[in-house]
Formats: sequence, C-alpha cells, structure tokens
Amino acid sequence: MAKPSSGSKRSGESNAPASQKTGAAVSPAGPSILASFFHKPLPLYLSAALLRVVLLLYGLWQDANSPLKYTDIDYLVFTDAARFVSRGQTPYARETYRYTPVLAWLLLPTAQTTGNPFWDAVLFHSGKVLFAAADLVAGWLLERILTMGSTSKAGRVIPGMEAATARKFAAIWLLNPMVAAISTRGSSEGLLGVLVTALLWAVLARRVTLAGLLLGFGVHFKIYPFIYAPAIVWWMDRETMAAGSKAKTVAGKRKSPLTSSAPTTSNAPWLNRVMSFVTPARIQLAVISLLTFLLLNAAMFILHGTPFITHTYLHHVTRIDHRHNFSPYNTQLYLTSSLSSSSSSSSSSTHPLKSLQIESLAFLPQLLLSTVLIPLALAKKSLPSAMLAQTFAFVTFNKVCTSQYFLWYMVLLPLYLPGSSFLRDKRLGLAALALWVGGQALWLQQGYELEFLGRSTFVPGLWVASLGFFLVNCWILGVIVGDSGEGLVL
Amino acid sequence: MRERITFIQKLGDSQEPSAFKINGGVISGPEIDAVREDKLTFALDDLPSELYTLLDDIHELYVRWVSPVASETVAPFLARLPPGFHLFFTPGKEGGAVLNTLCPTLSKVFGSIECSTPADSFTSLPSDRFSHSAALQYFQPLEDLSRFIQYTKDQLCSKSNSQCVARLDRLAGASSLEVSYDTISHALKITAVWPYQRQSVYAASRPQSRTEVGVLSADIPPGLEPNELGISGLLTVLEQDSEPSPVVFSFASRHQDANSEFSTSFLEPTGLHPTLQIQLESNQPPSEDASCSAHAYLTLPRNIFADKYQLADDLFLASKNLTALRYISQPVDLEAPEYVMKSWGSAILLELSPPDGEQDQSWTAEIPLHLRYLLPAKGGYESIQIPYPAVFWACTAEEGTKFPSNPFDRVNLGYDGLFGPRTVFWHVEPRPVGGNRLENTVKVPVLDLEKSLWVNAGTAIVVLAGFTWIVWKLAAVFFLAGHGEASLRETKSVKEKKQQ
Repeated sequence: MAKPSSGSKRSGESNAPASQKTGAAVSPAGPSILASFFHKPLPLYLSAALLRVVLLLYGLWQDANSPLKYTDIDYLVFTDAARFVSRGQTPYARETYRYTPVLAWLLLPTAQTTGNPFWDAVLFHSGKVLFAAADLVAGWLLERILTMGSTSKAGRVIPGMEAATARKFAAIWLLNPMVAAISTRGSSEGLLGVLVTALLWAVLARRVTLAGLLLGFGVHFKIYPFIYAPAIVWWMDRETMAAGSKAKTVAGKRKSPLTSSAPTTSNAPWLNRVMSFVTPARIQLAVISLLTFLLLNAAMFILHGTPFITHTYLHHVTRIDHRHNFSPYNTQLYLTSSLSSSSSSSSSSTHPLKSLQIESLAFLPQLLLSTVLIPLALAKKSLPSAMLAQTFAFVTFNKVCTSQYFLWYMVLLPLYLPGSSFLRDKRLGLAALALWVGGQALWLQQGYELEFLGRSTFVPGLWVASLGFFLVNCWILGVIVGDSGEGLVL
Repeated sequence: MRERITFIQKLGDSQEPSAFKINGGVISGPEIDAVREDKLTFALDDLPSELYTLLDDIHELYVRWVSPVASETVAPFLARLPPGFHLFFTPGKEGGAVLNTLCPTLSKVFGSIECSTPADSFTSLPSDRFSHSAALQYFQPLEDLSRFIQYTKDQLCSKSNSQCVARLDRLAGASSLEVSYDTISHALKITAVWPYQRQSVYAASRPQSRTEVGVLSADIPPGLEPNELGISGLLTVLEQDSEPSPVVFSFASRHQDANSEFSTSFLEPTGLHPTLQIQLESNQPPSEDASCSAHAYLTLPRNIFADKYQLADDLFLASKNLTALRYISQPVDLEAPEYVMKSWGSAILLELSPPDGEQDQSWTAEIPLHLRYLLPAKGGYESIQIPYPAVFWACTAEEGTKFPSNPFDRVNLGYDGLFGPRTVFWHVEPRPVGGNRLENTVKVPVLDLEKSLWVNAGTAIVVLAGFTWIVWKLAAVFFLAGHGEASLRETKSVKEKKQQ
C-alpha cells in the first residue's frame, strides 16, 4: 500500500531498490534495537504512555513549585467551565470558553471534590489524562489505517503496511514531544486528533453510519472538520464503496441497474451524471452527519440558549483578535480593524461590518482550496493525503493561526509521509522541516521582541516573518499536492 | 446656598483670634501654612436648569477628581484615590433621560469625558456585599479642571463679578474636587481642596448664603482614641459673628495617615505585559490593636488590564508579594484591542503581602498587567500614562465607631464600598518618581503607520502567490491524472506483481 519507492509514471524512473513493505528507507538504523522496538505494539504504546505520564507528573511538580505554570491556560478555562456546569450553571459563565458544552461535560470529573487534597488533584488533572489517552487512541487508529490495505476499483487488493512499519510511522505522532506536551498541558486538540483519525478509519472501512456520526460530532465540536465532508463524499463513489469489502455485496448489486440505464438517458447526460453521483452511501453519510450536527446543536441551544451559538460559532466569524499570530493576514487585520474603528470613532456600531469585508475575502482562498479544489483533485487518489492537504490549506490560509492548530494536520502526517517526496529525498525532507521550524523560530524571535522587550516589530519583522512562514507552508502544501497527485502516497 | 471654608494647619500652628479682622461679610487674616477646603452646598433650585433636570433622574452621583500632580496634605484630608476623574453613579428607578444625557453633560461640565452611555462605558459595582456603594463606576485620567472652571464661571458668575471669576480661577490650583448628590439629602455638594501651602486667610460672604470660616489646626486633646483625630482653632460665621469663636473637637476618622510612603514604577523592559512594581517604605501595620492588611486599589484605563485568572494562583501571587485579588470590576475582555472597547477600563483591589517580622523594612509588590493593542501610529510607539494606585492598610475599627460624625468624612471612593463599614483606611502617601506627577508612563509598541503602506498590497500579493502556486500544483494533478483514482497505483501494483 505504501510506496516508499520512487518513480512516477511521467518520469519513468526505475523503481527504487528499497523494499516496498518494510519501509527500510525510513529507518536506516537497521534491524537492531529499533526494529525490535516496533516489532510488537507494546513497547511503542507503553513508551508513548510513559512519555505522557512523565510529562504529566513533571507538570504537576512545576505547577506546585513554580509561579510559571506548565498547565495551559485553556485547561483552566475548560475546568472552570466544567465547575460551572457541575453547579448547574452554563459553561459560558467562564470568559473565553468558546467550545461546545460537551467538552465541559467530558471534564466534569475535574470539578469533583473529595475533601482529600491528593484525590482532588488527581481528579482535577484527569482531563489531561483524557487528552493524553486520546493521543494514544489516535496513534493506534493511525496504525490501523496504515495496515488496513485497500481494494482498487478494478478489484485488485492492495495490501496494507506491515504492522511494524505502520507503528514506525504512528510513532511520529505517538512519540512526538510536541504532541505529548500539548495534551499533557491540558489542551483539547488531542480529542480532535482522535475524532479525525476515527472518521478517516470509519470511511476507509466503509462504516458509513459511524463516519456520519463522527463527522457531525466533529463539526459540532470544532467546526473545521466540515472541510472533510466534500472530500469524503467525493471519495465514496459507487465503485470505491463497492470495492470495499464490507459494502461490496450490497452496493455491487445496485450498481448494475443504474449503469445500465445510463445510455437510455443520453438526452440529458448531466442528469445522468448527477443521478450517478447520488449514491445510497453518500445520502446516508449526508443525512446522518447533518442530523448529528443539527440535533447536537439543537440540544445545546435548548440547554444553553444564545450564548452557546455566540461563543461556539459566531465568535469565530466576528472576532477581531489580532494579537499577533502566525496568520499571514495578522498585520493586515490589525491595520484594517484600526482604520475602520477610527473612521467611525465616536459612532459605535459600524466597524464589525467593515472588518467583515476583508475577513470574508480571506475566507475565499482558504475555503476554495480546502473544501473544493483539493477534495476534487485529490480525494479519490488518496483520501488521507487529501485530508492532510485540506487541513494544511485550512490552517495556512486561516486568519488566525497558533501553534496548536498545527496539531490538526500533524495527526494526518504519518499517513502521508510513507511514500512522500520528503522521505524519498532526505534533503528535501530535511529542508522542509528546517524551513518549517526556522520560519516559526524567526517569527517567535520577532514576537519575543514585541511581547517582552516592547520593540515595535509589527512591520516589517512580524509581518515579513508570518508571510515567509506562509510561503514555506504553501511550498510544503504544493509538494503534498504533487505527491498525492502522483499516487505516491497511501 | 451654604458655604464652609476651612483652613487646616499642622499640629502646633495655631492663630490668636486677634490676628483676624472681621468687617461686615469679610474675614481677613495673616498668611499661614495650611490646607484649604471649600465646601459649597446648593439647593437644587439654585442650579442651572440642565443640571436640575439631570439630577432629577439620578438616585446618587459622586464625582471625585484628583490632580495628577503630587501635593502635601494634612489630617483630616487623608483619603487617597488614584489621580483622575472618578464617577460613581446610581440611576433613579425610572432610568429616564439621564442614561442618554449623562455622558454629554459630563463632557460639557468637565471636558473630554470619553464615555458614550452608562450602559456601554460604566462598570457595575458589587451590590451584594455592602449596600453603601453606588451601582455604577466610571474612571478616566483627567489632567485639570480648566473646563469645569470655565463652565462654572459661565453658569455662576455675572460678567461684572470679578470676585466670582477670581475665586473660580483659583480652582486651577486645587488638588481635588468632589461633587456629590443623592436624592435623600436633595442637595448638591461641591468640595474643593487645595494643597498644603502658604496662603492668606480671606473670605467674603455672598448674598442669600451662609458662610462659615474655620481656621483650625491638628490637635491632640486629652483622651483622644487611636482612631480619632483632634482639631482645634477658630470658627466664624460671616455676617453673624463679630469675632472668631474658639473650638476644640475630636472625631473618629475613616481615613488615617500611615506615616509612610510608596512609589510605583514599571519594571523594564515593559513589553506588552508590563509589571507595576510598588515600592513601600514600611512593612509595619499602622495600628497594633486592630487586624490590618495592606491593599492597593488601581483604576486602570482601558488600554491596560489585569488578568484575574492569572491572579488566582497562590504560588504566583506569593512570588509577587501579593495575597489575593480581592476585587476586579467585571467584565474585563482579555482579548479586545483598546480601540474597540467601550468600557472605561477596570478597577482592581489587591491585598498585598508584606514581609513578616517586627523589624521595619522596605519592600516591593509586583502587579502583572497586560497591554491592549492600541491604534497604529507613526513611529511605532505610543506613550500611555497609568495613574498611581491608592495604597493603604485596611484595619478593623472598634464596635460602635461612628465615622459620619466626622465633618470632613470622605466616602464613595470606590474601594470603601468593598470593605465593611467599620474599616479604617491608613493611607500610605504616594511619592512621585522623578518629577511631581503621580503616574507611570509606558511606551507601547504599535503598528508603525509609516511602514504599513505596503501591508495591504504585500499581504494580498503573497497570499495570491501562495494560492496560485497551490492551484497550479492542483491543476497539474488534475490535468495529468484527472480527478479519479491515481492511475499510477494501478500500474505500479501491476508492475510489482509482474516483478514478483
């Protein structure tokens, strides 16, 4: 399934000598310790868990002994909200709680008290355990997806990756210190990782109902997974669904009458096309995901009223949050928001509309790429890589971008990397990594000068740094797109 | 109208009755070193019609202005507030037109008051704990009373009355001004205080008004209680008394002098998260009998704020020599830039944590604050002024202490309503750093307008370039391989099969 070997149809290069299934190109360290580490699942998952336990305990120590906290501020937001909920109040009583109440419910144990300070602390930090566990489950799902294998439309069975190799790639997520740190600091992005990998797994396994539930819940939880809907819908055509082992018999039977009816409606070929696009699986996914999304929202609205809508959804549309971040629009948003507010300085209510203009323009390239062009061009070639490219485009072109957002695409990286140019050409891979890290470092350095030294580094420093980082991301995205198009990846 | 003019000198400076000449409605005397307080009480009928209609809708209204210029004062004028324009306000039950007219009227009377409506610009004061504070609060820095002087001259003085004009002009030198109104007293009281300085005693009565002049000094009459202040001197009611009559009295005072000083400064570099450091001269509580705790009360303009969540962690607080955040006005938006904020800012009350020990020592407390983004400006920097806090020891007074009997009592200061009614405030005197102003300046980095000409075009070009590059790559994929399943995979797997 994975093709670590090089070679494209056009260039006609010969296949790389590296064996297809071992992915040895990735681990030149050889068979010794490394190989035995991945040979069985236990060592990997145990060390991933251990890494998180160590970080969690270290975090507890630092929180207890240093005025500088390991725990993320967001975790205090979540747990405060959970405390409000446990007292029968709305989670939106906590300022800057911009999430679904479901998150506060999930963290209800953190609001419990026993009277025993030790158990109280354990309960308070149980949310981090949940997030860290979500990391592990996401990693396990990555392994499942990598070993899954697939059936081509022509009916050819493409075997999945060997479990040991799959674990090696899952380790990119599981043993990634950035991922482990973010979840043990109490950021909820790990939950999103498990949602997205589970969604992808369900789709690839042709479990349409489960996929619909996960998609609906994912969008309810964090909005952005809606970008996956067009890719999944585009991917799950009749042939693909039929090729899948599970739905094969059912969909296969229905396929014939429709295809045979095609010539009879030749006076309206477009109608024919539309008709053949509308498949039971697509309808099922659409209905279930929409119902899940709408029912969840209706339930939350009934429980929490307009604050739920305002904080969970509208906030992200109307926010004028230009505290500097990685987004290329950042400096421009600062500038335009100030101009619109000063031009109507005394009269009050005009500026949100004005600032909405630039923001809706910014939505255009972002949504065009992540919900239309990438799904259309890539989804049928490789769904995981298409989803990675979509997420990458969404985050790169977003008008607000912080390092937590990087986790959104990082979770899909192990599915793309095995056959990617970045691993085939080590220099390319290292260059991409260096540029990606260097772009952030440059920006962080400028940000440090602004935040802590008080130097006005907005222009050119931060502006140029964020545009540079943006271009690096665009380049990487271009490579991902190219790889996916050449079918080099999963 | 009633008028009370009081000169208060330091302990030991007293005057003989014979030093004063009383002639008809005029009293004149020697030059003395004293603080002067003028307190004018107006019946509502005496007021200009626009004020009368405004006050009609108001339950209570207290304006407290404090000069940003440091000055010396004496007991009993010890109450301290952060310098600037403070307003405490409770609308009448009906609400009424005052909610729309209050801010424009304030601007008319005091100058550039930047509030729009009470609903938008004011913050609520806690009403649950102690009922003796007003409902709403507003604050902003205000340099001087020049607009107020002009307004009152226009309203009160006829053109020919140069004495009236001269007297109001003297307000330019005042260190504080209070305007108080509530429906119960149904009178508007204006109190101005001038700093301790050399001045000659002079006052003249006006028609249809009672004028009382006191030339007093601090005193320690026998049997003075620890929470009490003693006063002695001469009182004269103009056009009634032919000579000053001696008085001695004492009263429990809500505000006391802690006999120590503090100053504040921002730790360098300030960045976007400046830390305000309070340097205190003494760690010893002023009263040994009562339980006391040190506090700082800050009124922060909307361009700077404290994060209550950051100030909730005990370890963090302890590392800054703070005990707890006792009060913060709500809500404080933690994200919004300054220029979209309508609320005036925020008031916070912090309990400080002085180092233990019998030995008197100086110490510091640090208050972490956060700047909002300000409007872009040429040069890339803006200077903002943050008023000094009020720093005091709050001590419990004995049961049965009656403060209102103090003729110079000061209430409705913002922080007093956050404590129980029997609290004594021992004020630490603010000392300016380098100059005479009770404020700290922060240089705030902002977007440099001069360098921002290319931001819009540059961003658009770069985003478009990135977008085009990805669309190009997608188009290449699309035209070479279509939108379907990757054909390579098929051929490759076929090839591989053959190889096998």
